[in-house]
Amino acid sequence: MDRKKVIKLSNASVYQRENLIISAIDIEIFEGEFIYVIGKVGTGKTSLIKTLHAELPLADGKGEVLGFQLESIKDRDIPLLRRKMGVVFQDFRLLSDRNIKANLSFVLEATGWKRKDEIEARVNEVLQVVGMTEKKDKMPHELSGGEQQRIVIARAILNDPEIILADEPTGNLDPETSEEILDLFIRLNKEGKTVLMATHDYAVIAKHPARTLICAAGKLSDSEQNKSMIEFEDLLESNV
Amino acid sequence: MQQHKPKKIKKRFRNSWITSLVNITLILVLLGMLSFVLINARRLSEYVREQIGLTLVLKDDLKEVEIIRLEKVLSLSNYVKSTRYIDKETAARELSEELGEDFTGFLGQNPLFSSIELKLYAAYTNSDSLKMLEQKFLNYPQVEEVYFQKNLATLINENVRKISLLLLIVSGLLTFIFFGLINNTIRLLIYSQRFIINTMQMVGASKSYIRKPFLKRSLWLGGIGGVLANLILLSGIYFYQTELFGNINTTELQIVAVVVITVFTLGFVISLLSTWLVLNKFLRLKFDELFY
Repeated sequence: MDRKKVIKLSNASVYQRENLIISAIDIEIFEGEFIYVIGKVGTGKTSLIKTLHAELPLADGKGEVLGFQLESIKDRDIPLLRRKMGVVFQDFRLLSDRNIKANLSFVLEATGWKRKDEIEARVNEVLQVVGMTEKKDKMPHELSGGEQQRIVIARAILNDPEIILADEPTGNLDPETSEEILDLFIRLNKEGKTVLMATHDYAVIAKHPARTLICAAGKLSDSEQNKSMIEFEDLLESNV
Repeated sequence: MQQHKPKKIKKRFRNSWITSLVNITLILVLLGMLSFVLINARRLSEYVREQIGLTLVLKDDLKEVEIIRLEKVLSLSNYVKSTRYIDKETAARELSEELGEDFTGFLGQNPLFSSIELKLYAAYTNSDSLKMLEQKFLNYPQVEEVYFQKNLATLINENVRKISLLLLIVSGLLTFIFFGLINNTIRLLIYSQRFIINTMQMVGASKSYIRKPFLKRSLWLGGIGGVLANLILLSGIYFYQTELFGNINTTELQIVAVVVITVFTLGFVISLLSTWLVLNKFLRLKFDELFY
């Protein structure tokens, strides 16, 4: 099957400022894949995701995301890259000065949507996907963590992105809510979106096993290339 | 209860803009006063220097026609501001009044000469020009003698120069401080929204799109600040006009207009410029750098 490559890193290194976090990364991710990134705290899961949406520069090696070369991306092209991907942040990063509706319509207006009725319709649509329609007039700080997480997911899918990067989306949620959030991602994945999800929530992986990238000891290993690690129990013991 | 919270936040947010507006208005008032002082200082120094007069003592046997011709030639030149012809009789009368007794009766004749008193434009009152002009006037056949107070001229020029220099240094310093104060005010406003700016970038907003509302608000800030500052200045000028303009009978309206325009322009320029600079700084920063 000839699938489209959406992310390709070759011999890439991830730096957080001057500190080398992960080196010699070689991965290819195809359209429609569901991928976990796991690893202990501080092993570079977040830095890897930040590198993929150009928040951290790619200093070493080559990286291509949705046709953009990460190592040479120009400042003014970064917004264009980010418009093609949805990012779900660990710390939500909602615009704290405006309500949910304004948070979502900001993204649409900033990415060139002009017509008020279209914007409103799209906002309602994504809120419905995450089941948060009644909360649209609330301020972000009035929502619980799980609710904010859903809003962030809604925001991430506004522009119908090809890739969704999620950094510990179930990090501080109760098991039930985690499951709901995971179901949301699975649904989005089934619609054809590539999902890359950093997590240390193994219950999630157990429920929905998939290709897994493991960050450990400054390296990134791929469960598909190293079949011995595909056994989840092994993985739990040996790597994390 | 649920309705209260956002309102409170909005109110607090609005308050910070009002505080900044008050800040900028007050600083612009000071800037306006400074420019007022500077403009007037020039006029005042001109006024003082134009008090330096030259007296041309005329030859005794001149015909009236020739004196009138000389006066005309002088007043047509570009260095003479005003001329005043004093004939023998007037001179005698003025001197008598000054002395308090009629000396012509006592002497039996009038020993004074006719003269023309000249007031020069400020630009021609420095010592060099005065010397050159003296030479020039002495070459006129009608002129017997040229008289002016050399020391007074030098003294006035020297003092005017010193005071102007001091004023220039002080106002330069003050302008610098005012710029800094407005810049700080705006920096604080934007600093308080640095995380929002960063998040906007993360969701794919371009830099220019993020800048737009900030620049628009700073235009309002500069504009409203300028209007308020001008209102304060104008009412100040209105209530103190006699004290301010009392002894300078020039085009007051022109000065006021210059001050008003200066305040307006500076309000816009400073607030836009600092918003631009500060915004660019925060647009460049990475998320992790926002905590410092």
